[in-house]
Amino acid sequence: MSVNHTHREPMLCIEDLTVSYHRVPAIHHLSLLLGSGHCVGLFGPNGAGKSTLLKSVAGLLKPETGRILIEGITLEKAASLIAYLPQRESVDWDFPVTVCGLVEMGRYHQVGLLGSFSQSDQRAVDEALELFNLTPLARRQIKELSGGQQQRAFLARAWAQEADLYLLDEPFSGLDRTSSAALASALGTLRERGKLLLVSHHALGEAESLFDTAILLNGELVACGPTKESLTPQNLECAYGTAVYSGAHHHS
Amino acid sequence: MQRALLSCALIGFTNGFLGTFIILRRQALLADALSHSLLPGLALAAMIVGLSPGGLLLGGLLAALFVALGAQIMARNSRLKEETAVASLYIIAFALGIVLIRFAKVKVDLTHFLFGNILGVCNGDLWIAYGAAFLTLGTLVLFQRPLLLTLFDAAVAQASGVRIRWVETGLLALTVLGLVASLQAVGVLLSLGLLIIPAATAYLLTDSFTRMLWGGAFLGMICAVGGLFLSFFANIPSGPCIVMLMAVFLGAAYLFSPRYGVFFKLIRGHHYHEESLERWEGHQGHDHQVPQKSSDKEFKA
Repeated sequence: MSVNHTHREPMLCIEDLTVSYHRVPAIHHLSLLLGSGHCVGLFGPNGAGKSTLLKSVAGLLKPETGRILIEGITLEKAASLIAYLPQRESVDWDFPVTVCGLVEMGRYHQVGLLGSFSQSDQRAVDEALELFNLTPLARRQIKELSGGQQQRAFLARAWAQEADLYLLDEPFSGLDRTSSAALASALGTLRERGKLLLVSHHALGEAESLFDTAILLNGELVACGPTKESLTPQNLECAYGTAVYSGAHHHS
Repeated sequence: MQRALLSCALIGFTNGFLGTFIILRRQALLADALSHSLLPGLALAAMIVGLSPGGLLLGGLLAALFVALGAQIMARNSRLKEETAVASLYIIAFALGIVLIRFAKVKVDLTHFLFGNILGVCNGDLWIAYGAAFLTLGTLVLFQRPLLLTLFDAAVAQASGVRIRWVETGLLALTVLGLVASLQAVGVLLSLGLLIIPAATAYLLTDSFTRMLWGGAFLGMICAVGGLFLSFFANIPSGPCIVMLMAVFLGAAYLFSPRYGVFFKLIRGHHYHEESLERWEGHQGHDHQVPQKSSDKEFKA
């Protein structure tokens, strides 16, 4: 179940991960290894644990068993390497911040509490804006962007943060064809630059064009590997055909 | 009068500054609830240590933290949502306070609690105002960046390593401190007004977090001092006078803010030219129909 092509520590290493809500586990004993430079799609029926997996890797949920390592280090120490992109509904779009200000937030970790923005910080911000074609929009308040532009603004922030692992929860939902294509190409750019992207997605039809690797979940890990090999009819039947287990789960 | 002016300026500035955080965290109502829950703490403190400023400060702080933390605990362990828990607890606390005042031998005036007594400010109160202002402004400026990240999106901030529990609890504690420190001078109602209205006014005027922060602070100071002068010359109570002055600014921003004012929205109407142009870019074959070049093209594959 490994798609690690690098010789260094794997980008993301998950060992025996179980995460529960009120003792009902959403993910059971999941283990996987992912290397950098991949765009990984997360598939599975509702309640299969896609969001749970993303949130666990983001450090927002405490695992009941197992552990998660980023480039060989624990989540707490690797926080600045992780960029969790919020679902669009959770963002207050009226917040008094421009696109440029949003991307600058990505540098706060490097700048520290009171440090001022150095030239290299400024360069990182400009580069991020440029990379995602946001330079002409830099002065706009974030609500004045289209849905696709908003997604790219958050990607730019993650780029400025110099994150290596991008976690996106259903980024394509609600985007029209044009915006989807733009977002897909932005994700492609990130993959080419050696980032690891973990993206939950519900439409199986576009899987092969969007993702080079696919993870199929159903509470358990059903398959993980190159998209074509993991999304076989057999695996899909296994993931979508059986009801998601929702009984209590005990560890002695 | 000099002491009154100075404490007004201090409280106006500090509360205006703090207000930005309260508004962006959508906790205006929580601040309201906290302010009322100060009463039982004050009554208890008055019973135990008398009416000394330090004792009152401590009592109020404990009472408000009790309500805020109590509500958080209730919300986490039951299906009650936090705002329901806060509303229940603060009403209970307020009632408890009134009962306690009955038993306290010292006289705690409810009107004084609500409206304060700006001309009766003594040196001790002024020192408390200095201390609170220093502590509040210092902390907020120092932790401005993690605060901003948390306010914008707590989950994302947490994922990037910000300890949001600490940030949120700290902000709560500072709110309580601000309310208690301004109690003697302006009372809970005006203190709340200075916390919410100047920052709300600034929010209508700017898209920059920093400008909102300092704008709210200066507006709070100007209104507090200006209102005090007005009340002196027009011979009306100072509290309402300060609030009315803030209301004028808020009303003006609501109507005439260049970007978000109701008035300009009405006369300008909606006109999203760029957005309209963007729609054309989906149709590759019709590029020649785009009347002029749009500078902000969609990300092309």
